[in-house]
Amino acid sequence: MLRNTKKEWLIAYILIAPFVAIYALIFVYPTIDMFFLSFQDAPLVGAGDFVGIENYERLPRDRRFGTAFWNTAYFVALTVIPGTFVALAISMAVTRLSGRTQALVLALFFLPYILPVSVVFRIWDWALNFQFGIAMHVLDAFGMDRIPVFKTTTWFMPAVAFVTIWWTCGFSVLLFLAGLRAIPQEIYEAAALDNTSRWRMFRHVTWPLLWPITGLVLTIQLILQLKIFDQVYLFSQGGRPNDNLVMVYYIFQRAFVNNQGGRAAAIAVVLFIMVIVISVINFQLTRLSERRK
Amino acid sequence: MADISLDTVSKSFGGIKVIDGISLEMKSGEFVVFLGPSGSGKSTLLRMIAGLETIDGGALTIDGKRSEHLAPGQREVAMVFQNYALYPHMTVRGNMAFGLKNIGMDKSEIDKRVEDAARILEMDALLDRRPAQLSGGQRQRVAIGRAIVKEPAAFLFDEPLSNLDAALRVRTRVELAELHQRMQSTMIYVTHDQTEAMTLADRIVVLNNCRIEQVGTPMDVYLYPATRFVAGFVGSPGMNFLNAELKGSGTDQCVTLGDGSRIALEIDVPAGPYDLGIRPEAVRVSAAPAATTGKAAVVERLGDRTLIHLHLEDGTELTALDSGRSNVVSGDAVHLEFDTSQLHLFDAEGIAHHAK
Amino acid sequence: MTPTTIRRINWMGGAFTILTVLIAVLWAFPIYWGIISSLKPENEVVRPYIELWPDTLTFEHYWFALTQTQIGKWYINSIATSVGVTVLTVSTSLFAGYAISQLRFPGRRVLWWLILASFMVPTQVLIINHFVLMANMSLLNSWAGIILPQLIHPVIVIVFKQFFDQVPKDFREAAAMDNASEWAVLFKIYIPMNWGVITALSIVTFIWAWNAFLWPFLAVTKTEMMTITVGITQVFDAFGVYYARQLSAAVLAGFPVALVYLVFQRRVTQAITLSAGIKG
Repeated sequence: MLRNTKKEWLIAYILIAPFVAIYALIFVYPTIDMFFLSFQDAPLVGAGDFVGIENYERLPRDRRFGTAFWNTAYFVALTVIPGTFVALAISMAVTRLSGRTQALVLALFFLPYILPVSVVFRIWDWALNFQFGIAMHVLDAFGMDRIPVFKTTTWFMPAVAFVTIWWTCGFSVLLFLAGLRAIPQEIYEAAALDNTSRWRMFRHVTWPLLWPITGLVLTIQLILQLKIFDQVYLFSQGGRPNDNLVMVYYIFQRAFVNNQGGRAAAIAVVLFIMVIVISVINFQLTRLSERRK
Repeated sequence: MADISLDTVSKSFGGIKVIDGISLEMKSGEFVVFLGPSGSGKSTLLRMIAGLETIDGGALTIDGKRSEHLAPGQREVAMVFQNYALYPHMTVRGNMAFGLKNIGMDKSEIDKRVEDAARILEMDALLDRRPAQLSGGQRQRVAIGRAIVKEPAAFLFDEPLSNLDAALRVRTRVELAELHQRMQSTMIYVTHDQTEAMTLADRIVVLNNCRIEQVGTPMDVYLYPATRFVAGFVGSPGMNFLNAELKGSGTDQCVTLGDGSRIALEIDVPAGPYDLGIRPEAVRVSAAPAATTGKAAVVERLGDRTLIHLHLEDGTELTALDSGRSNVVSGDAVHLEFDTSQLHLFDAEGIAHHAK
Repeated sequence: MTPTTIRRINWMGGAFTILTVLIAVLWAFPIYWGIISSLKPENEVVRPYIELWPDTLTFEHYWFALTQTQIGKWYINSIATSVGVTVLTVSTSLFAGYAISQLRFPGRRVLWWLILASFMVPTQVLIINHFVLMANMSLLNSWAGIILPQLIHPVIVIVFKQFFDQVPKDFREAAAMDNASEWAVLFKIYIPMNWGVITALSIVTFIWAWNAFLWPFLAVTKTEMMTITVGITQVFDAFGVYYARQLSAAVLAGFPVALVYLVFQRRVTQAITLSAGIKG
């Protein structure tokens, strides 16, 4: 097509200018700045001296960093695979329904995802309240002991993981539903003519065809849960935050509570690299499995 | 209405020539069809005239004005796209008016032109609908209407019927012919369908491999194909091609076929091996022994005529055309007669020579 | 299959449907429980047994939240910042996505790779530097300070680019034949043709911005500048240890997004599947 090159450039630059300006200011500059800051002993706001890799050297000996790291890993283990299974089960149940029933049921499962974390926190803080929570009434009814869920280190992470699955599962359900809809109905009809049982149908038709979506859901969940902060912070309020630290929480603590910008930046860089490494590995795996087809 | 002339235009995509020095004169009011298989360059040539593709070399003149450097909108041509490209968010009226608004035409003039075009195309009632609410044939009309309102120097059609079903295609073809008679404007029409080309064109331009094979009236192209390619591409069922040897000269010329049979003819070429071309309607079933004999393999009855696919003795395949009430059945031995005035010989370069 | 087995499958299917509906209701029950508790007088809320409907239906806690706390200001802050984030993110991403998809210019590939790369970067790690930057620009405790760091949504650009890529090039050519300028092509053809996805992405961006917690929580220290999601959990003396009051504030905070979702359900689900890279 005939193009007026110079004019096209000008228009393109006008169009991308606001985006590029914002990106440079809010993304590129802070990312570079983060690396610089991690080599300084700076406070949160203000100048600091260059200290080499001292901020990083401290990390292996730092007990709170260890807690944050392992809690994050624990949280990932508690949410990613269980959450994906729950979402898969829900979407299998929802996809059989039709019409208004399906819309209604889907809305009920999806509604929590729409809510702000503060609201989710209030709802579950109330439902699991040690004195008056409805869950405790249920425990009473079964003759079990009440548990101060968010005040007990053992129960804290599983409970937050449970709430997180409840909160974010709707998202994965949507992805699975899209994947299930993409499977041609003829395949099921052909399988039904072959007298395939329901389980074999799932095992040999649905599951393999749904695998790309499952992989996607797992990846998204994994990266999302590595960055966990909000729920942990809110449920820790008035509890024992030092036992419940996760990576972002620890960055927050170092920077905003201890006023140690440099040391916080070093932790941020570690998390940054963790996420990038996982993304790259995942990207390569996806490419590999696509090539195998 | 305008003359359009192409003077040795050429175009390459990344080093590969897609249009190679084509020259062509189209007269005002003429209906010219670019006919060719996919990849022949016919669409590219049309798009070069429209301004949607650059012209790398040569000159394009529209209505006496050098146009190869003008933007598409300034060439005063209008195009009907294969997929119509109707703006889905605009009404029919909006679609037709968009181009006129862009050049700042008076609202009253726009309204008048849109109403006129709608009347010509009999779609007054559809003006406030959106493309999604129209049938395929109606969309096609809107696409034409969008071109008409511009009162262009020429209409360019890029395979406009290919998205319609068979019945609608025939009807629309007739409507297009009527439209051309009424508007008397220059139309350039790209298609790979030889029936469309034969029925619509004043002149057909047959393209193959980025070059023009032949330019001529439909009957010229049909009766006197310039090359073996044209002979094979135009006509359905296709022309028969047989290996043949031309012997003799002057009045005792004859060709020998693979099965040994001889056909006398008169033609101005030296003796030697040729491809002999003959259309099925020039191969006739004869009651008495004639030029040669074949064995009917498949008989296709089309109602008004019958196609007989035959094998000659040496296995050469040949198709003959018989009347609708033909009583030949598969397996019959059939006597065949050739209309020697409709014989063509093609030399090694594919150039055609026609029997007298 | 014999008629009996077919009937049995129908029966099982019915039972399964009922079970699914029951689980769905149970799933959403905590939300119901939160809402219903906020409508009970405080003394009913703390009764040691389960009451699915209040004896006395009361709006006193809502009245309290709306009149005795700064929730009105927080609402305004939330609306202003969420609308700001939405308008800025969607418009800049739309223009950038269009340029990358439809125009050829030096730097195009670099920009596209930058966007794809930024897709992997967790914005949470940038909180320190965002804070420093906003402090240096004196934007802490301001709407601009809340909005700016929330404008990194590479996925929106990516979705826009994909949508513009899918528009057949015929339309651009038809517009060229129609004498349309480059701006007319963008504003009169490409944008109107993609209104659906633009609204869908705007709605989810609004929901994300409304629900944002970490950054608004860090960027604001003055209670009157807080967004509602931060205010209702961070201003401890606003509600005291009154569960129903806290819940009524939570209901008020969640209401707008829940409403947006229920009204635009189809658009929201479409945009969310798109944001994960799946064609809806």
